[in-house]
Amino acid sequence: MSDSMLTVSMRINGSDTEPADLPEDLMLLEYLQEYLNLTGTRYGCGQGVCRACAVIHDGANGPEVIAACITGVAWANGRSFRTIEGHASRDIEGNVTQLTAVQQAFLDHFSFQCSYCTPGFVAAATALVERLEAAPVARDAVEETVLNALNPNICRCTGYVRYLEATRDVILSTPGLTTEEVAERDAQP
Amino acid sequence: MRRALVILAATLASLAVVALVVYLVFTGPGDIPAPSRDLATLTPEAHAELVQAGEYVARAGDCVACHKSPDGLSLAGGTPMETPFGTIYGSNITPSPSHGIAGYSADDLYRVMVYGIAPDGRRLYPAMPYTSYHAISRADNDALWVWLMAQEPVARANRPAELIFPFNLRPLLAFWNLIYRPAPPDQPNSGLTAADEDPLERGRYLVEVLGHCSECHTPRNLAYARQSDAHLQGYVIEDALAPDITPAALARRGWTAGDLARFLSEGLAPQGVMTFRMFPVLSHSTKYMTPEDITAVAAYLMQNAPAASPPLPRLEAITENPEGHQLYLGLCAGCHGAEGEGQPFGSVPLRSNTSAMFDNPLNLVRIIREGIPARHLTGFQRMQEMPAFDDRLEDAELTALVNYLRQRWGGHADELSLEAVRDIQE
Repeated sequence: MSDSMLTVSMRINGSDTEPADLPEDLMLLEYLQEYLNLTGTRYGCGQGVCRACAVIHDGANGPEVIAACITGVAWANGRSFRTIEGHASRDIEGNVTQLTAVQQAFLDHFSFQCSYCTPGFVAAATALVERLEAAPVARDAVEETVLNALNPNICRCTGYVRYLEATRDVILSTPGLTTEEVAERDAQP
Repeated sequence: MRRALVILAATLASLAVVALVVYLVFTGPGDIPAPSRDLATLTPEAHAELVQAGEYVARAGDCVACHKSPDGLSLAGGTPMETPFGTIYGSNITPSPSHGIAGYSADDLYRVMVYGIAPDGRRLYPAMPYTSYHAISRADNDALWVWLMAQEPVARANRPAELIFPFNLRPLLAFWNLIYRPAPPDQPNSGLTAADEDPLERGRYLVEVLGHCSECHTPRNLAYARQSDAHLQGYVIEDALAPDITPAALARRGWTAGDLARFLSEGLAPQGVMTFRMFPVLSHSTKYMTPEDITAVAAYLMQNAPAASPPLPRLEAITENPEGHQLYLGLCAGCHGAEGEGQPFGSVPLRSNTSAMFDNPLNLVRIIREGIPARHLTGFQRMQEMPAFDDRLEDAELTALVNYLRQRWGGHADELSLEAVRDIQE
């Protein structure tokens, strides 16, 4: 751990964090867990490979998934992220009132057992859905698109199929994410 | 005027005649020594022994690197080799009667390996490294032939070379051969199949002949022949730098014979991991070589090398290049460590890695932009995937990061310009 400190502030789940003096080589995941008490983002391999630590970075290129375990606060400084705690709607006391479509679909499809990988899958599927809002794909390309988006995430319990099916169902049942949907909607008088 | 034209025509005609005479008389194959033994009457035991020996010759010669098919069949041909003149595809060298080399005799194989001339008289492009293989021992050639003929035939058609004019005219290669194809040595090495070789001489044979290292590591001239006065001094080939591997240059980058031996057998050393076209070299060739041969190769490459003197880390880089430092901490240090220490089985140490040491930043820039796939090296040794960062870094950021790595661990005090980094094509 470096002795050098860095003053860091970023936007997490829509709120700006208080500027904090952090070791300059601190990783984003440790900042989330140890400094902000946002413990939902998981530590898996620590090498950016398993994607249990995936969070959404809202940058200039739109939402993209990054591995928080290998992304330093030096890069995260001044940027905007969404963690698993920021997806569902909450009431004024912080209680969850409404899950997102992706989260609900994962529950409905029994997509996970131990759930360790789930925050990463929620991030990957949500970022995909949001990218499709801006750039929809043909319905027959959805299967492949979902596979490509979720392929980096590792799950050791259920074998992926239920995550893939849940994400595919969300995309196919949400207007505007596939091109035929766009065509049908535009065709209505 | 008319007289001048007649003289010109006569001169051209006599040049053409001379060229034809030279072509017919001087550019054919040279001598072919007698076979090392009677290959037609081998006992089953002798045949099995030769198959095994021939497989090792094929490993050391890394035939598969260019002769495997895109769908992974070892010798069926089709691997593309990019040259400035177009693309050449490795040929089918399985014993297929229709598409392969079933009709080759051991003499025919020797003629191809040493003179670059197929049995039908067709000249091979020197992408087939016959100017390196030219010194193969007849015994190794014969073992290789026995092994090749014992492989499964694959009926897969050869893909013709796609070369621009005039490089697509094969007969012209006869004249290239005249200038650039060395004659086989009077006293050829006794070869891998003999056991009594002096280790240094065996290392030379493995590096210069079968391993054909200089085909990538030696600069080429305008005729795309290797420059004999710059042997192994490094060359950009197929969009990557094959670095200078002369003893002094290796020592300057911190290599010892022990590190080099480890790199060749395991694919990994403090200086880095096998990347670009060296990864297939590990996978098909060097990882199968015996420890004695690996030691011989390393000893030959490091012959008379000065003591290793890698550049010292420059901590000034942190203050000189704060943007590069922040980018390093933010995007690289998670795996490579704040001090460039790396992680076993995950990511290489950067503080001793040679990519930042080369004057040419090509490999460093490409690795950051494109990443490296997960690697299964030798045995249980492996490295995790390095992600591509081309979509996370603007050109100016990439330049700052590249300069930081070069300044901190590469021994460079100077700075590359934005243009120099941007102009490196992906």
